[in-house]
Amino acid sequence: MYDWAHWLPLAILTPLLGAVLTPVVSLRSRHVAVWWSLGVMTVTSVAAAMLIIRVALEGPFSYLPGGWEPPYGIELRFDEFSASVSVIVLIGWLAVLYSLRYTEWLREVPKQRIPYYYSLLLLNLGGMIGFVVTGDLFNLFVFLEILSLSSYALVAFSGEHIAEMAAFKYLLMGAISSLLVLFSIAILFGLTGSLNMADVATRLSSAESVAPAALALGMLTVGFMVKAALFPVHIWLPDAHSIAPSPISAVLSGLVVKIGILGMIRIYQIYNTAGVIDMHWLNHVLVWLGAISIVMGAFFAIFQDDIKLMLAYSTISNIGYIVMGLGLSTNFSIIGGSVHVFNHALIKATLFFAAGCLIYRTGYRTLTDLRGVGHSMPLTSIAISIGAISIVGIPPTAGFLCKWYITLGAFEAEQPFFGFALIFGALFIFIYYIRMVNAFYFQAPTHPEILEVKEAPASMLFPTLFLAGLCLVMGILGRIPLAFIEPAAQRLLAPLGG
Amino acid sequence: MEVYDIRPILAPTISLVCAGMVFLVGRNKHWRRFWMLSAAVLKLVVVMSMLPGSLRGIVYVFDMIDFTPGIGIGFRADALGMFFAVVSSTLWLFTTIYAIGYMKGEGQRVRFFGFFALCVSTTVGLAFAENLLTFFIFYEMLTICTYPLVIHDETPEAFRAGRKYLTYTLIGGACILVGAVMVFDATGTLSLSQPGILSTDISYNTLALIFALLIGGFSVKAAVMPLHGWLPSAMVAPTPVTALLHAVAVVKAGAFGILRTIYNVFGVDVLEDVGFTIPLAAIAGFTIIAASLVAIFQDNFKRRLAFSTISQLSYIVLGAALLTPFAATAAIVHIANQAFPKITMFFVAGAIQRKTGKTTVHELAGIGYRMPWTMGAFSVAAMSFIGMPLFAGFITKWYLSLGALESADYWVLIVMVVSSMLNAAYFLPIIYLAFFKAPPGTEMHVDEAPPTLLVPILICAAYVIILGTTAQVPGMPFSLAEAAVHFVFGL
Repeated sequence: MYDWAHWLPLAILTPLLGAVLTPVVSLRSRHVAVWWSLGVMTVTSVAAAMLIIRVALEGPFSYLPGGWEPPYGIELRFDEFSASVSVIVLIGWLAVLYSLRYTEWLREVPKQRIPYYYSLLLLNLGGMIGFVVTGDLFNLFVFLEILSLSSYALVAFSGEHIAEMAAFKYLLMGAISSLLVLFSIAILFGLTGSLNMADVATRLSSAESVAPAALALGMLTVGFMVKAALFPVHIWLPDAHSIAPSPISAVLSGLVVKIGILGMIRIYQIYNTAGVIDMHWLNHVLVWLGAISIVMGAFFAIFQDDIKLMLAYSTISNIGYIVMGLGLSTNFSIIGGSVHVFNHALIKATLFFAAGCLIYRTGYRTLTDLRGVGHSMPLTSIAISIGAISIVGIPPTAGFLCKWYITLGAFEAEQPFFGFALIFGALFIFIYYIRMVNAFYFQAPTHPEILEVKEAPASMLFPTLFLAGLCLVMGILGRIPLAFIEPAAQRLLAPLGG
Repeated sequence: MEVYDIRPILAPTISLVCAGMVFLVGRNKHWRRFWMLSAAVLKLVVVMSMLPGSLRGIVYVFDMIDFTPGIGIGFRADALGMFFAVVSSTLWLFTTIYAIGYMKGEGQRVRFFGFFALCVSTTVGLAFAENLLTFFIFYEMLTICTYPLVIHDETPEAFRAGRKYLTYTLIGGACILVGAVMVFDATGTLSLSQPGILSTDISYNTLALIFALLIGGFSVKAAVMPLHGWLPSAMVAPTPVTALLHAVAVVKAGAFGILRTIYNVFGVDVLEDVGFTIPLAAIAGFTIIAASLVAIFQDNFKRRLAFSTISQLSYIVLGAALLTPFAATAAIVHIANQAFPKITMFFVAGAIQRKTGKTTVHELAGIGYRMPWTMGAFSVAAMSFIGMPLFAGFITKWYLSLGALESADYWVLIVMVVSSMLNAAYFLPIIYLAFFKAPPGTEMHVDEAPPTLLVPILICAAYVIILGTTAQVPGMPFSLAEAAVHFVFGL
């Protein structure tokens, strides 16, 4: 039994140590960096697989580094929400492979700087894995900073002026949100004298004063909202996600914004268990913000010609779905929101990978310029079409589950308005994806030479098609993520008597 | 009796595989035709092989997977589904042959035929859907697969039509999805295997909303006024596609959805209690008359046929809404009785357009001299719509009138009579122009459409007569409709 749990620190330490060592191992030749990173990610994937098998078989478990008992020592806790490491390692692995050719192609980047790219990427992934498995509030903050700082640097990596601007905007917003999170953790520590999440939850219920706890809850929510890019604090996202190198866009849009969501879930776990604050009004605010995000993201996406900017706005919409699901806080809606954390990561990574393939081969990134590319790059275009159908939520693709469950949750919560908002909001999203499909397949090319380009290289095409395949089957195999999510959702609601 | 059998899933899957092969090896003309015809023929064979069992009352069932607890994909070939499957797969074979002849020399044929074959798969999947979710999946897939066909010409007009088509059908689809969620929320199941899953225990308002969403959503594809706007615009598509839209797949998917909603989701008893179908019947009656009136003033041949389709489809809706066994029989058999004459007419319109380039009614003067067989087939179809005995349309009108008498809705009889007269008013002038007016030129020689176009036309016209004269046609069984009615009404 015990030896299984040892995989837990290994899953965090491997990518973090690997990141530090990347520049060292690639001193001789920068080409080593990518294979080293792949190796690191493979080991991490094995560790993650072991952990997921264990949690599937035996339920949540903890690991105590050094053997110190929780309130004093650090606790690493692996529960069903932590099973999202599966998608982190999957997309991380594929993003590294995808970067093999993509980084070499970035013209503004000096070649000797490429190992640092992999180093940052591994740091980012390691930070995310740490974030989802930690049971300690301060560690939560540390991992949040690791992944945020590496994200800022990765956005700026292409070295173009506009990328630096985007990264700076991201940094400003991100720094404020990190501060909010840090202050709130300090407040919670002051109130309870503990940093362990489970311990904080029990001690908070007997806290002397509710007002600081409420303040902390508000600040934590806002802080994580910024990371998740929920309306109205989404403004950093479109620039950062569209300007970053495509594999990074996939990681940022697919995974990093979800960290904000998972952060919210963790905080909710604490406050639901403590039961000192009535969460209803906050839930109601979140539902509305989610609904506004859905409509607003879709609305802005319609007017974008730049394909990556369009995808970035669509991320805001999808975050809206997830937050709406959490805010409705019924069993079905939380299942729907959580399953979309997983499925949206797959779908959005597919779309950004495919967009990257198009940009890599053609050099164009607007729909007008890319007209007709479906004929010369059929596989990439099929992948992007599958992603589009999936994100709109046409059954039986991956995106459908979330729509189904959240709508069901809206009716369960007797707020059918939001069910309607979600389903008809999805139609909005369809408009811009149909524009994309039209441009790729049915419109005469703006640049005739686009009909001559070749299909993307295999190291880029494989991740794209693999994820596109997953988008197709994950709807039908929805039982697999649901097996993890259902008990987790029940546990989240259990203290409320749900 | 239920039998576990793989054929209900085999039918859509075989055509799906063939469609995939069309995409893969479609650049070669012969392979493309081979896989196209394979898709149509194999599906027909599989469906027909279930027919003897189905006639004996066997229901073939295949549960595939629950992709989440409670909601899943399942297939079930009951009498109603079999009827729709038999009609659509028979017609599909003819449409495929016709399309191969019609599309000669057109661009983008791989895409065209690939998506065409995909529609084969989705339509039969729709027919055999065991639950509302499976139904919805195929319903949405059908929308997606027909879009590239509608915009095939890639002209601005085609794009406009495509946009309109998607706007209408996707909004309809969204309504259906919300309705399905509400059904699941109220009952915990989505099964279509019972004669009704909702009960009057559920609050009246919820039932009304579910009815409005499901029927409203399906009415978009069934082109019930005022939701018919997409159908005339979609005329820009190549003729085999309009035949497909108007006679076989798309509009019938909507009509079939309405039948499923009324008979299998609500059930006749519940609807009789709550009375939601009374306004539906009124709207259908209005559509029958209004669409015919509009059709009289259309000069574009295909547009006139389009409005005739809108009018004819509401016969199905009206029959279903009357909630009597005879009217239900009429509604179900009209799936076939509308499909065969209408597909004949569209084939004729396409053949004339291919042969002579004529697209408007007033240009058709004397066309009967040049294409006597083609216009003969058209006349047969027109007689059917007018409701002449011995033609298919008569059967529908007869049973629908009987059903109306059963429920004492005498206004339906007036609608029937007026509709027949209006049908005559817009079809007979075409026949008159074709056969009794001299052609503008001097030449009177026969110059028929090529056999790939003519043979499907003649076969479909023959079916119109067969359907009208014998109730027990091999492969087009009236008794299936009766079996469905018996099941639904618990007779």
